[in-house]
Amino acid sequence: MKALRVAVAGNPNVGKTSLFNLLTGSRYKVGNYPGVTVETREGGLRVEGRAVEGVRLVDLPGTYSLTPMAEDEAVAFRALTGADVEAPELVLLVLDATNLGRNLYLALQIFELGLPVVVVLNMVDLAKDAGVGVDARALEAALGLPVVETVARTGEGVPELAARLKSMAGQLELMEQRLVPAPEGGVLARCLADMGGDGPRQRWLLAGRAADRLELAAPSEAERQRVDGLDEEAVREAMAELVGARYAEVDRLLEGLGLGADAAESRDANVAPAMATSEKVDAVLTHRVFGPLIFVAVMALVFQSIFSWADPFMGVIEGGVGWLSEAARSILGPGLFTDLVTEGVIAGVGNVVVFVPQIALLFLFIGLLEDSGYMARAAFIVDRLMARVGLNGKAFVPLLSGYACAIPAIMSTRTIASFKDRVVAILMIPFVSCSARLPVYTLIIGTLFVADERVFGPFTQGGLILLAMYGLSTVSALVLGAVYKRTLLKSPTPPLVLELPPYRLPRIRDTLRHVWDRTLDFLRDAGTIILAVTIVLWGLLTFPRVDPSELSEGETAIERSVAGTVGKAMEPALEPIGQDWRIGVALIGSFAAREVLVSTLGLVYDIEGADEDDAPLRDAMREAKDPETGEPRYSPLSGLALMVFFVYACQCMSTLAVVRRETGGWKWPIFMLVSMTVIAYVAALIVYQGGQLLGFG
Amino acid sequence: MPFQKKGPPTLAQLQPGEQGRVRAVSGRGAMTVRLLEMGFVPGVEVRVIKRAPLGDPFELRLRGYHVSLRRSEAERVVLAEAEARG
Repeated sequence: MKALRVAVAGNPNVGKTSLFNLLTGSRYKVGNYPGVTVETREGGLRVEGRAVEGVRLVDLPGTYSLTPMAEDEAVAFRALTGADVEAPELVLLVLDATNLGRNLYLALQIFELGLPVVVVLNMVDLAKDAGVGVDARALEAALGLPVVETVARTGEGVPELAARLKSMAGQLELMEQRLVPAPEGGVLARCLADMGGDGPRQRWLLAGRAADRLELAAPSEAERQRVDGLDEEAVREAMAELVGARYAEVDRLLEGLGLGADAAESRDANVAPAMATSEKVDAVLTHRVFGPLIFVAVMALVFQSIFSWADPFMGVIEGGVGWLSEAARSILGPGLFTDLVTEGVIAGVGNVVVFVPQIALLFLFIGLLEDSGYMARAAFIVDRLMARVGLNGKAFVPLLSGYACAIPAIMSTRTIASFKDRVVAILMIPFVSCSARLPVYTLIIGTLFVADERVFGPFTQGGLILLAMYGLSTVSALVLGAVYKRTLLKSPTPPLVLELPPYRLPRIRDTLRHVWDRTLDFLRDAGTIILAVTIVLWGLLTFPRVDPSELSEGETAIERSVAGTVGKAMEPALEPIGQDWRIGVALIGSFAAREVLVSTLGLVYDIEGADEDDAPLRDAMREAKDPETGEPRYSPLSGLALMVFFVYACQCMSTLAVVRRETGGWKWPIFMLVSMTVIAYVAALIVYQGGQLLGFG
Repeated sequence: MPFQKKGPPTLAQLQPGEQGRVRAVSGRGAMTVRLLEMGFVPGVEVRVIKRAPLGDPFELRLRGYHVSLRRSEAERVVLAEAEARG
């Protein structure tokens, strides 16, 4: 028997995800719709822990309407109408019982499609508490559709819903398309007639044209011609008429449900029953003074968690990797194969797994903030600042997270609705100084500057240089973001139009499940690339192998490796920015991760354990002299140029692997690598050459 | 208000605590459609609850829920009456 496919639809913040998790026992596959980055989840129905054969659920993105305005709505409509995936046989429409006045708008659009619908009236407990409880039988009568009451947060009503779905398998018929009638003699009726008749598809195309997003509706050539033939002003009026007619029908339904009085109160903007408590909370959380203070505190907490709370876990992972390498070495004995296993494979796996604590913590916090309703308030508070770059408030958390690590930060850009704006944020994030740059800055400052020298007050030379690097990176990220937004990825500043939903207690299980999904996603997709690149880099730094006896005085094995040869070949390009081939080798090695610069320089200078204690390396670098001139090899100016290079350069394969994952191709990671390297080189050139002209170094 | 723009009153001119009745959503494109679909249809009352700490966006109440709009977005919502009611 063919499985009954059930699409789960509903507005955002109505408990759709909780319900889906409950109905599938959280056993689902995460996938992507073809061509877009909107995530889908699909799983079999489970009742009391046991799989029910023949019923499969597909979770659609939460949307307020089906009009193609962004990818989410387009995906929902296309999935429901079977445009590029098989159409569902049944729609499970989740309504928030506390706010039917807005939820029913989407419901009417779905009824227009003519698919059989089961209505879930969720959060009936909160609706009763708020005094807007609606009788499920009355709603059933008014809509002519089965209605099931649930409380997804506690699981109440879910077994009944599951039983209902189970019983429906194999005995469904299409219902008639219930089009909210176009007002007679109006512009809408005329436009639809010009398009060859009234139907959900025609209405959808008309809406797509009105929203200037016809391409999202993917019309056929004939459809495009008909829609393009319509008069601009007529389309505008027709859309207003269509939405007005639907809302009039919503009001008529509410009236019939005995919610007329409440609805009138709501329509007069006097009350928002579900918001009664939340308004009191918001009196503090979005208060003119306390609001920003609390916002800063919450963001500091998120930042602190990925910056330092992840540290012990990362330490354990690094320790485990070290132990594993030792174990492998003692079992396999010395040799090339052992080196491949320890420095290639095990180190590579370590390079992947080491990101897991930061990813998990960031997504845990984001999940809690989203589900509780605070994230919308955070966007509300910070929107004005982000609008200057051309993004909306939702881009703030990903950018902030970038100061800890670009990997989780880039993954968290999924909260940004528009793809172009997501790419802008993704391109900005690696410019923000992540924590892996810190060891590089520290080594250079400690080697070439008098880090402890007081400049004024409590400020030392080292501290001020570090501050300058962070300032430079922040300003650069914001400026480049604004530039990309206005050129390459030109699009209007995304609308805010952000619902401020009632505060609700998050369902921890759903949040943890989401954290798990994202972590697995990273390990699977980005992890394989990171592992492969680690092995390649190991090869570059190892081959061709030389016998230690062949090395001349002061020469190290790494000098003869491919990386050493490439580094030497790069020297003419590095000299203008004040660097030599040794730094070139270290730049190749540090592509694995920026902090690897320290240990690779250690190999070049034949110093063991430089990443644990860099004092011997600092001494070696400070004492290094140019053999021809006898001058010191590195000056404060060349150190400054190298730091500026690191502010801008994309010295991180993991970032590129994640960007490939999140943008669905190699185009943007390649653009990122090339543009960041060029910017880094030019900036370092300006610093070094400019500094020399001014008589420094 | 000293610098009030000429033309029909818009939602952007309301102060926190004031409300007005929607007459139309002006302009075209996705923003206009989005506003209509979020319930800013003719006849609906919208109340300004507050402004964000930095002065923009606005928090509004309509149809029993709360939504946040920037000033530039609120300017598209044309109100029926010139006088705002508290």
